[in-house]
Amino acid sequence: MQPRRDGAPETRKTMLADFDLVIPANLTQALQILSEDATRNGHDAMPLAGGTNLLVDIRARRAAPKRLIALGKLDELRGTTIDNGRVIVGGRTTLTDVLRAPRMAEHAPSLVQSARVFGGQMVRNSATVAGNLCYGSPAADTVPPLLSLNAELTLASQAGRRVVPLNDFFLGYKQNVRRHDELVTEITWPLPPSNSANLFYKLARRKGDAITVVGLAVTLVVESGKCSCVRIALGAVAPVIKRALAAEAMLIDQALTPTLIDAAAGQAVEACEPIDDARASAEYRCHGVYVLTRRLLTQAWERLS
Amino acid sequence: MSEPAEYFRPLRPTELRQVGRPLARTDAPGKATGSTRYGGDYTMPGMLHAKVLRSPLASARLRRIDVSKARALPGVACTFTGADLSDRLAPTDIPGQTGAKRLDTGQSILVKERVRYYGEPLALVAAETPAIAQKALDLIEYDLDALPGVYDPLEALKPESPIVQGSNNIVAQLKIRKGDLDQGFAEADRVIENSYRTQFVEHAFLEPEVGLAWVDENDVINIRVSTQVIEHFRSIADAVGVPHNKVRIMGAMVGGGFGGKEDLTVEIYLALLTRATRRPVQLVYTREESFLGHGKRHPFVMTYRTGVTKDGAITALKVTITADAGAYVFLSPYVILYALVAAPGPYRIDNLHVDATAVATNNMYTSAFRGFGAAQACVAYEAQMDEVAKALDLERMAFRRRNFLRTGDKLATDVPIESAVWTDECMTKAWEALGERTPDSVPVKVGRGVACYQQSYGRIMWLHDTSEAWVGIEVDGTVTVRSGVTDIGAGQISALGQIAAELLGVSLSDVAIYHSDSSTTPLAGTTTATRALYMTGNAVRLAASAVRERLVARSAKALRATPSQVDLANSRAFVIDDPDRWIGFKQLVALCASEGIHRSELALFRAPFTDKIDPETGRGRVHPDYTYGAHAVEVAVDTETGEVTVLKSIGAHDVGRAINPAAVAGQIEGGAAQGQGYALSEEMCYQEGRLITLSLSEYLIPTAMDVPQIESIILESRSGLGPFGAKGIGEPALIPVAPAIANAVADAIGVRVYDLPITPERIVMALRQPDSME
Amino acid sequence: MAEKKLIALEINGRRLEASVPPNQTLLESLRELGYFEVKSGCEKGDCGACAVLVDGEAIDSCLTLTWTVEGRRLTTVAGLGSGEHLHPLQTAFIEHGAIQCGYCTPGLIIAAQSMLDTTPNPNDEDIRLALSGNLCRCTGYTKVFAAVRDAAAVMREGKRSG
Repeated sequence: MQPRRDGAPETRKTMLADFDLVIPANLTQALQILSEDATRNGHDAMPLAGGTNLLVDIRARRAAPKRLIALGKLDELRGTTIDNGRVIVGGRTTLTDVLRAPRMAEHAPSLVQSARVFGGQMVRNSATVAGNLCYGSPAADTVPPLLSLNAELTLASQAGRRVVPLNDFFLGYKQNVRRHDELVTEITWPLPPSNSANLFYKLARRKGDAITVVGLAVTLVVESGKCSCVRIALGAVAPVIKRALAAEAMLIDQALTPTLIDAAAGQAVEACEPIDDARASAEYRCHGVYVLTRRLLTQAWERLS
Repeated sequence: MSEPAEYFRPLRPTELRQVGRPLARTDAPGKATGSTRYGGDYTMPGMLHAKVLRSPLASARLRRIDVSKARALPGVACTFTGADLSDRLAPTDIPGQTGAKRLDTGQSILVKERVRYYGEPLALVAAETPAIAQKALDLIEYDLDALPGVYDPLEALKPESPIVQGSNNIVAQLKIRKGDLDQGFAEADRVIENSYRTQFVEHAFLEPEVGLAWVDENDVINIRVSTQVIEHFRSIADAVGVPHNKVRIMGAMVGGGFGGKEDLTVEIYLALLTRATRRPVQLVYTREESFLGHGKRHPFVMTYRTGVTKDGAITALKVTITADAGAYVFLSPYVILYALVAAPGPYRIDNLHVDATAVATNNMYTSAFRGFGAAQACVAYEAQMDEVAKALDLERMAFRRRNFLRTGDKLATDVPIESAVWTDECMTKAWEALGERTPDSVPVKVGRGVACYQQSYGRIMWLHDTSEAWVGIEVDGTVTVRSGVTDIGAGQISALGQIAAELLGVSLSDVAIYHSDSSTTPLAGTTTATRALYMTGNAVRLAASAVRERLVARSAKALRATPSQVDLANSRAFVIDDPDRWIGFKQLVALCASEGIHRSELALFRAPFTDKIDPETGRGRVHPDYTYGAHAVEVAVDTETGEVTVLKSIGAHDVGRAINPAAVAGQIEGGAAQGQGYALSEEMCYQEGRLITLSLSEYLIPTAMDVPQIESIILESRSGLGPFGAKGIGEPALIPVAPAIANAVADAIGVRVYDLPITPERIVMALRQPDSME
Repeated sequence: MAEKKLIALEINGRRLEASVPPNQTLLESLRELGYFEVKSGCEKGDCGACAVLVDGEAIDSCLTLTWTVEGRRLTTVAGLGSGEHLHPLQTAFIEHGAIQCGYCTPGLIIAAQSMLDTTPNPNDEDIRLALSGNLCRCTGYTKVFAAVRDAAAVMREGKRSG
């Protein structure tokens, strides 16, 4: 008879299960190792970026990779630059790097707001933006801002590279289009025009180091008194973080009024498929989406008009 | 006792030189540099690593458990299951110094047949490495048959509910019958009734439970453990079947306790394993295991029915309290006793009925936690005071003042309070310190709240509490204090040093304090019940005073003065009226040594003893004395999201005498943060008994981003029973915080959330009630 | 069992080699090597008790694999100061009474030092953000904030005069 294990308390996880660790010296090596793994080893290797999610999962036995490819030496992927009208964040850039990057508060106000309240200092010093995207938690703090900024990811493998809009990146709960032999080398988005506003709000059960209950980001561009671009990104209210497309459609080419904003906020709630958990009920999450959509749209509109 | 008004005056300059100063604590440098060794920082050569297998079901029958595969694993030294311990029980009663057994509350050390809560220990393993021990746990096979459980205390009282243990689910039931309740309600113009609920709360000390045990050459089981109570050596000896003098507990600096390390933790497991293997064994709990491994704060359901006249005199109060005791007794009977005594709060209520019941469920057992039942009561009585004031349209503080208990008035248990009762002064000062009101800014509403309290310090009087300490002077003039007291972070040890330094006229750096070793330091009792300073401080005072008396006598002779003319200070003995006539402390000590004058003393301090209270009326003395104070807060509530920001948080407490004001402020500030978590964010969530908030990212204690700058106001009535007139502050600091926040939130949004924690979600739901908001 | 490897570490200015398996965290390695001042509170990055500096930047050692810090400069709280030679943060924590049970103290001091390295003149918000990953259950943080502010002033003064 097999011993019973279902639902056993997670108390036995004092040590990490066995795995092998490879530390490539550069991107080329890293991609080569991932490529070999993909062809020979049956996808049992996982890239290790900051480790602030993956190592927790391994300890809790929610993940059991045979091999980790540590990306710590890939300094060529670390840092932020502006090129050709786009902000470029390297695939190894940490949250702290984002906070320290000059003028990032202008280039991505929502991302900076989310990075400030991302975990605690030590986690921000280790965790990478790309890692936060790839882990794909529905509560990931950097995803709503980057979705609202219309970010794109560059995925590189030995076979080449491709650019994927963040909007198309996620396939389902903790699932995305990254192949096992690929790494995120860049995250980019267009420099926001001066007639734009970009806001983020994290609703959580406490102010410091908390898991998000609702994370909401809004980008608004106003031209000639009307919204020429609206992006509303909803975090922690569905299996994947996504845009409230129907709500956005209601606002495009419109001058915003309280009534319209209210209607759009109601529409944003329609996009939610939240769960009940110990942090909040589904009902409250929907309420949060309504309130925050209304609030951020109002603030953005007021700032621009 | 004088009237409080006489006590209430600016502090005079005192003759005290060490006591009353905010000295850097003796334990601080080691902690700042990391050289302090905590329980888990001790290792031994050849040490085994232990692990505990825990039940994945909250209510079940253990049909089979088979450790043979685990035992066969290379590197496994020892295993235990309930079958190996058929005649042994772990005590769950209140730990005592007298050794008397008080309640029949024994529990199987490991499950023999019946599993009653999620995480109940099924088996123990000791192995060469933690990894092997972990693997061995995975190899233990067992079959559990799920049984119906009961997870709500009100459900558990219904006749059709499953019985957790014994013949019914009532663990303890206590009552107060004071005055004439019917008459009191008849005299009332209004009767206001409300129910309040509190949640399961976790201590969340930063250091998970840990210990290291070995058997020495004299067959003594030595256990180095993170504990509030070294006196557990007796229960451990009984549980493993050895004489009391064959178990030695050595404490270490404790990485936080708050009541969570008051019951036994890892000690019996370690004793069993080291005795069986004759090798050193270490057991380190993970955070998850810590959450599963010790009792929580009792959730309470409290109904308050208050009769009051139009002008705000309370004429009657009927209180019903139901506490979730969880699956085993532990300290529940005492916790509801505290709640019983605290039920009316710091108010004079002549017609009072209180019924308190602790009910067994298949939830995690509940036990000691800072405030010990009185904290929950304060959540209700202070919310009720605001609700009654609101119903009568009276100003909240004026209504409180109208009803405050004052020195000489009778407590809930119908005996008078003798020490100073400065509730009013504390409330007034705390409120004043809030300063200018922060304005509202749509959609944020600002509110203010205050809460007052009465909290005991010192143990229940029929537990016959005593404490011992030894003070001695080495021939080089340095001072040694020996006391079994454990230091759980509040500066318990440093305070003893300060008292000894004061009485012997030396500086704190001249004093070394040896502590928490059951075989070499005199037993101080426990560091629980806000008793360490009161009891052990007094024991040190007695011991140091006796030594001082001999030194003064000898120096008087040397200085050709009478003892009453001589004082000790600045490491010398001198004539008070002629300080140029002095003798150095070192020289004086050498003189005493050469003449065989006894330079040390072992003292025992005995708290006042009484008999138990009357079971029918509750009449009698329960605690030696009480601390009084208040907490005031200002909060900002986002009326759309329900988020609460605490803007100002001010505690004002009459501590009798602050031995170390910095340490007192530390208690007030820490209590303010802990109380804020209790009010707003902390909740251990159980689903059918299964804990679902199993980490510090799901159980949310306040962070540096959450708490405001906390202000402490220290009042000193000098009326306490502790050394130099000190009262206690450890538990009291926490008590009024959560209700003050609850009252501030209600003030802000115009509607009350009756259940803790006051989450954003509950605020939003409360605001949706049709009668909410003006 | 994955193969152990001899890893060169520099801890508090001392160079040493240790045989470490790939799945060992820096927290486990440091404690095995006797650096007990690095505390374990949750093993998942929730509490900050295990914080150490890697090239001057604070990280949770429980979420860091030892192999990945080979050749980098590691500093524990004892490496900042010990005995008679205290770091200004340590002195300030002692003098302000910012230490109670002390279990979180090494992590708090490390986190504060990491922040002061790049933000020598922090405001209240900077301090709170820097310490939000370090849970303290005893102090209510009030004296911790005061100690960090004071130490920052002392360190700025020291830099000016030094």
